[in-house]
Amino acid sequence: MDHLQQLRHRVRQYVFGLVLAENVLLIVSWWAADTFTGLPPLLVAGATLIAGGVLCFGIARIVESYVTEPLQALWQAVLHLSPTDHGIAAPKIEQLRLGQELVTNLTAQIYQMADVAEHAATEKLERSNDLSRNFVAQNLPLPLFTLDAAETITFANEAAAQYVGIAATDLIGKNVYMVLDMLFPSEETFDGWLKEVKAKSATAVHSWERVRLNVRDGHPTRIFDLAGYYNRDNPQHTETMLVLFDHTKMYTQDDQAVSFIALSVHELRTPLTLLRGYIEVFEDEVDTTTNPELKGFMLKMKSQAEQLTAFVNNILNVARVDDDQMQLKLQEEQWPDVLRSAIENLSLRAKVRGVTLHCRLASDLPSVGIDRISIYEVVNNLVDNAIKYSGNSKVIEIETHLTKDGLIETTIQDFGLGISTATVPNLFTKFYRDHRNRAQVGGTGLGLYLSKAIVAAHGGSIWVRSKEGEGSTFGFTLVPYAQLTEEAKQNGDQQITRSAHGWIKNHSMYRR
Amino acid sequence: MTDQPTASATPTTTPAAGRNVLCIEDEHFIGELYDRALTKGGYKVTVIGDGVEALAAAQTNQYDIILLDLMVPNLTGIEILRTLRDPARVPALKSKIVITTNLEQREDVRADIEKQADGYLVKAEITPHELVDFLNHMQ
Repeated sequence: MDHLQQLRHRVRQYVFGLVLAENVLLIVSWWAADTFTGLPPLLVAGATLIAGGVLCFGIARIVESYVTEPLQALWQAVLHLSPTDHGIAAPKIEQLRLGQELVTNLTAQIYQMADVAEHAATEKLERSNDLSRNFVAQNLPLPLFTLDAAETITFANEAAAQYVGIAATDLIGKNVYMVLDMLFPSEETFDGWLKEVKAKSATAVHSWERVRLNVRDGHPTRIFDLAGYYNRDNPQHTETMLVLFDHTKMYTQDDQAVSFIALSVHELRTPLTLLRGYIEVFEDEVDTTTNPELKGFMLKMKSQAEQLTAFVNNILNVARVDDDQMQLKLQEEQWPDVLRSAIENLSLRAKVRGVTLHCRLASDLPSVGIDRISIYEVVNNLVDNAIKYSGNSKVIEIETHLTKDGLIETTIQDFGLGISTATVPNLFTKFYRDHRNRAQVGGTGLGLYLSKAIVAAHGGSIWVRSKEGEGSTFGFTLVPYAQLTEEAKQNGDQQITRSAHGWIKNHSMYRR
Repeated sequence: MTDQPTASATPTTTPAAGRNVLCIEDEHFIGELYDRALTKGGYKVTVIGDGVEALAAAQTNQYDIILLDLMVPNLTGIEILRTLRDPARVPALKSKIVITTNLEQREDVRADIEKQADGYLVKAEITPHELVDFLNHMQ
């Protein structure tokens, strides 16, 4: 109030001074006119009155301009802060001739009040945002975590707390890796991703499948899909968000189906390893020159062990095909070389059955795009079948040539039992076997089913031509490598990867 | 479908030259067969069937080659592999690590293991001689 007092005092001083000066001026003027001019007193009085009026008007204007200036400045300050844009600038208080302190004080008060009002409005908005955010986050039935820049948990919803079995309030402030002990199926891990995006990007989204979580000792492992979202510009302490989608039940069922087969395979392979190992020791160290029959037995044992190994692989691969887990990586290979090496592995089996493998391999074939090991399986199965179904015939013809469509075709022909026309269409079906031959020939009916899936994944086709009593010819085609790379290039694929089930992992590669 | 083709590549003259092999294998008979074939092939072989003991031995860094079975008691092969490949725990490991297993893995898990190892062999698909051949070929 001091400033107001000061202003009143100043105004009083100004008015008093001006009026006093005016009165003195009038009295002096009157006296001078009356003494020195000799004009009639009435005229002098009239002139003095007029001069007094003019002076009063001048004083009134001076006082008005001095006194209203501060008011104008205050009015300008109010308009300046008004939400409606009046195009009014902030008042220039330092130029005021009167009441500078008072106006400074009052405008400061006005600005402060405006700030308070604005803050209240923002707070209201934030409160409403917080409320809706918290409601969504809390009631989301999926575990949700937010992390700050140091990967410390800043928020965990109720579902998250329940999932990891720790109260939400206890989760906050903990490092996420201490709480979520995650195992990823590949090297592409959450922390690796986060490190990379923080270095390179402002924002990124990523998801992972089949992530395992070790919750606490004695609790079962949970398996889930994980979605991660990073945004550097998110409000502080919420840069990273994590959402978990629990699929423990689904994934465990899958794993159990596969793990049963995997376990069986493991149990079969251990004795097989030993059998093959000990047979090799026998071969090395038992002198069979004195007993040729013993040598024959040894070869038969060896061939049977090899066949059992191939069969175990068949079981495993059929399981993989059925689960869409068989991934083939196609690489450039010279087909005659691959075929020769595959046939070499089969020569012992042919030999112990007294069958000769005749090969006519064209030398001018273009290179093929194949997954060597899985194509070995195809050759293995087809030649094995031919050996098994050769009957009394002792020759198998293996031949390769280029078809008129530019594909590499391989045929395996036996001159044995043959297949009846009625059963041909079912041959490539799982577990199918020609019942009339069951008594004579062993087998599971998995080999052709598997071969078809593998050839199809290579982009080729498999076929059979047979006549009962005269033998069968099985053939399959492969695609030249150049053609595959051309397709891969068109699809923008870096690597030619295929899934053995007829459909393609890298979308659109498979056209045949 | 990335099983190693049976390691029956052309015979080699690369000498084993007394290289030290640690064979981590809990199946006694397989250990015996590998020991026999590798010793005959000129290697010095130590067979250990227990995971914890095997890791302690491997950490001494005195082996040129470690054959690592994935299913061994007390510590899994994967844990042994991770530890050996962690430079903070085993600095400058000179040993080559070859996985020898009959266990079947999911493709991605296997690819992950293969990346950390110098070789991956399915025991049922190779004979002891072929294992020796494979090691002879390893640089």
